Amino acid sequence: MKNVKFFRYLAYILEILLLFVLGTTPSLIPQIFGATPCLLVALALTIAVFESEVPAMIFGLVCGLLSDIGYSNSVGTFAISLTIVCFILGFCANNFITANFYNVLLTTTVVVTSLLSLHFLFSYVMAGYSSAGTYFVNHYISRIVQTIICTAILYFINKFIYSTLSE
Amino acid sequence: MKDFLKSNSLKIFLSTVFVVIVLSVFTNSIHSNMVSSTLNGITYPLSKVTAAATNDDDRSIDEIRAENEKLKKENAELRNQLVNYYDTLTENARLWKFYDLKKENPQYAMVPATVLRRDSNDEFYSFTLDKGSTSDISVNDPVVSQNGLIGWVSEVDLSTCKVVTLLSPQTSVGAIDNRTHDTGVVSGSAKYCDKNCTTMSKLNADHKVKKGDIITTTGISGLYPKGLIIGEVEDVCYDTYNSSYYAVVRPYDNIKEITELAIITDYTGQGEVLINSKTEKD
Repeated sequence: MKNVKFFRYLAYILEILLLFVLGTTPSLIPQIFGATPCLLVALALTIAVFESEVPAMIFGLVCGLLSDIGYSNSVGTFAISLTIVCFILGFCANNFITANFYNVLLTTTVVVTSLLSLHFLFSYVMAGYSSAGTYFVNHYISRIVQTIICTAILYFINKFIYSTLSE
Repeated sequence: MKDFLKSNSLKIFLSTVFVVIVLSVFTNSIHSNMVSSTLNGITYPLSKVTAAATNDDDRSIDEIRAENEKLKKENAELRNQLVNYYDTLTENARLWKFYDLKKENPQYAMVPATVLRRDSNDEFYSFTLDKGSTSDISVNDPVVSQNGLIGWVSEVDLSTCKVVTLLSPQTSVGAIDNRTHDTGVVSGSAKYCDKNCTTMSKLNADHKVKKGDIITTTGISGLYPKGLIIGEVEDVCYDTYNSSYYAVVRPYDNIKEITELAIITDYTGQGEVLINSKTEKD
């Protein structure tokens, strides 16, 4: 039974590596309205709804670290926020909410919007860039929508992995 | 709920959050750090392979097929030549791009580099290059293409470095109009970065800058060499907020898609004025 869990985690790790490469390889994913989705954020959230809180937190931390080094070579917004959010999401999914598609979509919509808005706040508004609102309108709205769409797709992939590789 | 508050999960969670916050403070206060070096070390080979695989990916299948046919014919002709012919040819073509720049400026020490990855979270099109401190790259080194300045190195670790482009507001380069000798500061702007343009602000009220003028670096601060081409003036506008004129400058390269670059690691006069203005960019 432990082997099944091991292979499930291995599948998640491969998924993380694949999406990291997809997200950071130059010109691989075309930009839609000036943005590409945050694939690792979407992945961390969809893993969290199927796992218990500690594994969810660890996968959230890994996805956050990889998102951060791609951006600024330092541990920052994504590592901290995904660690916290994935732990809470994992706990709630096991105790309070059913991990069905609509619940997950609603939860991740709120979480993705809050996370990326927070990232925008730290990276642009607090950094004092002029016309910060322009970036939000031109890039962030598109990024949030695309990330939510990816969350929906990744939900089904991770549901398949979870149902196939669980005892 | 009481059980949860006493559970190991919560203790692990709180410990992890504490460690991540400490790491965050640590990595933000020290530019080159173990965490990013380790993670970059792990992901470097993967990124290197995928970055190489996607160079020239904007060609259609028909174009690639036509090229494939052509290459098959050429391959038959070249079969008798040296085994490493293609490698040498590719490397030669890559270095040739920077030959003119090097010839005109023999004092430049240049390291050719390739874009390893672009981050989807950055709005100013910054990217990571496949050269780091082991290739003598250091923070603030200018990054150029064969057509001129592209940006500057903001962070370095062993095998990679992060480049902030001319399109970013973080960039601030002393610039001069080669025709009129009007001076200003080139810096990115939210309004123009998506159009692959940057702005030259702080122009005098009686400036003579006009469309088509070529803008180059002044080299005053010692952070950028003198005379590096930044781009061409596309428009001159009036900023009602600052009550001053600024020029919209278009770099000669498409910064959003560029893949082959060089980093100037040393040049005559580098860092000479830094003693007086350590924190200021050019």
